[in-house]
Amino acid sequence: MNPLFPDWGAPLRDAGNAFVQWLVRDFGDGFEGFANGLLGVLVAIEQLLRGAPPWAVLLATALLGYAASRRWAFAAACTAGVWFIGALGQWDQAMQTLALVLVSVAVSLLLALPLGVGCAFAPRLRRAVMPLLDLMQTIPSFVYLIPAAMLFGLGKVPAILATVIYAAPPLVRLTDLGIRLVGADATEAARAFGATRWQLLRKVQLPLSLPTILQGLNQTTMMALAMVVVASMIGARGVGETVLVGLQRNDPGTGLVGGLVIVTLAIVLDRMLQSAGARLARRSAAG
Amino acid sequence: MKLQWLAGLLAGALCTAAAGAATRCEVERKIVFAGLDWESNAFHTAVAQRIVRDGFGCAVDTLPGATIPLLNGLARGEIQVVMEVWMSNPPPSWAEGVAAGKLVEVGTNFPDATQGWYVPRYLVEGQGAPAAGLKSVADLPRFKALFADPEEPTKGRFLNCPAGWQCEVFNGKKLAAYGLAGSYTDFRPGTGAALDAAVVSALTRKRPVLFYYWGPTWLLGHWGQDLVQLDEPAYDAAVWKAMSEAKDAKDVKTATAYPTVRVVIGARKDFLDSAPQLHRFLQQYRTSAQLVSEALAYMRQNTASADDAARRFLKMHEALWTQWVPGEVADRVKSKL
Repeated sequence: MNPLFPDWGAPLRDAGNAFVQWLVRDFGDGFEGFANGLLGVLVAIEQLLRGAPPWAVLLATALLGYAASRRWAFAAACTAGVWFIGALGQWDQAMQTLALVLVSVAVSLLLALPLGVGCAFAPRLRRAVMPLLDLMQTIPSFVYLIPAAMLFGLGKVPAILATVIYAAPPLVRLTDLGIRLVGADATEAARAFGATRWQLLRKVQLPLSLPTILQGLNQTTMMALAMVVVASMIGARGVGETVLVGLQRNDPGTGLVGGLVIVTLAIVLDRMLQSAGARLARRSAAG
Repeated sequence: MKLQWLAGLLAGALCTAAAGAATRCEVERKIVFAGLDWESNAFHTAVAQRIVRDGFGCAVDTLPGATIPLLNGLARGEIQVVMEVWMSNPPPSWAEGVAAGKLVEVGTNFPDATQGWYVPRYLVEGQGAPAAGLKSVADLPRFKALFADPEEPTKGRFLNCPAGWQCEVFNGKKLAAYGLAGSYTDFRPGTGAALDAAVVSALTRKRPVLFYYWGPTWLLGHWGQDLVQLDEPAYDAAVWKAMSEAKDAKDVKTATAYPTVRVVIGARKDFLDSAPQLHRFLQQYRTSAQLVSEALAYMRQNTASADDAARRFLKMHEALWTQWVPGEVADRVKSKL
């Protein structure tokens, strides 16, 4: 050891191990109870998606595609993408992955939206939160995944946790940014009409920043999809497992099939959110 | 850690130079060991390298990597010695190298690597044990509620091998053959680390868990006394072969326990021919799964390096390893401990 450096690594390592062990021994059952609650929601969504006949899912895709864009060609393209997943023989896995992504995005939205609004109004909170977001986006996920798996059990719940940690930051950042970018003229005008702070937020700032927030949601969704392979490493079923098995068996063909499914899901979700965002932006520009 | 290792290597090289007159290595070049990416191999490599370096005065090195690239390296000549080749599923480059006469199975490192299905002892033994009477895989359907899978609560959860490993396929077929497909989920943990996390978490909290595991590993070394292996029909080569060849798990009607696997030391023939003394040492090298599990548990508990574990092993089991080498070689190894 170089005398220049004090030895902090070893005590930190030992304290970390002791802390995790203490958590698991004394609070493991409580964490698992919480995990099973969240799991109930996920399993319900997953069963709905997996139990639904494929034509119903295709129809829903077409309707959502039309609702997002008001163009039939776009809706047909989205439907073709989802159909392609079925043609690759990965329907069931894709529905499992979709359920995981939807729940992760919903949890991210619940956490990130209020936090983003808070950051926009309280610069001190923003200064505290930004380094935390950096940490969440860069720390290798296995660092917290293995302790999470010990606390929450293997499978879907630690997978959602990891996905939220990785995917929520862009939504916080873009919500914060979107609200701060709302022009002073709009807010001043609203204040002049005697709007309260809550009215200002709900009626002026949130609607005007909606396109930016939707961009954040889009980023969050894409990042959630990028995590599905990592999620499969702690036992979450889905397309990620197809890729993982391909890698571990030295079977690049299977890996390619799984990779294509993830890309297709990403493209369909991305385009839908983009066109919904573009329509909203046009509408808010017009109104 | 890395610095220590480097320092050790440097010190080793200097000592080798100093003692050059007394102990001349049989080969001019550095002897490169395969640094396969699992702990028991790291331990054996550290033990063998201490003996080869300190005892025989040879320069040694390790090339880290995964099985397939390293065994290809052995066949090409970038690596001379592999301390662990698992005879249950040797990679193709090993079989081809042996057939071509380039690679040689020098000796058996340990003959008793095991695989099986385990449950914690506190579930099956003692007053009011929740799974009293659970002895074999045939009893499992009765206890499915105990091992309930939170994602599918009507079934029990069987923790299979990490996805993609050969054993994952075998365990899937066994679930079908033992009639457990309807009462247990085939839960694949994805990675070895995730499987360890689930098992250790359950054992720490004294919760029910049913899982596949293999030895020698630190987990069996550390928790072995607290685990019970479930009985399976005794190993039968014909049944095993039929089971291995079945394409679909549903077609498998009978299964047997895993065979005990022999783990051998592999080396290049040209290297062994040029170094008869080292050849004899590698032929004599022999340990057991129990010894290896103990060493790995020591590494895990004390966050010790493989070389620390090797030094401890050489100190504690002198009667064993001094049989592998001539007396003066053993003395030189001991003087560096």
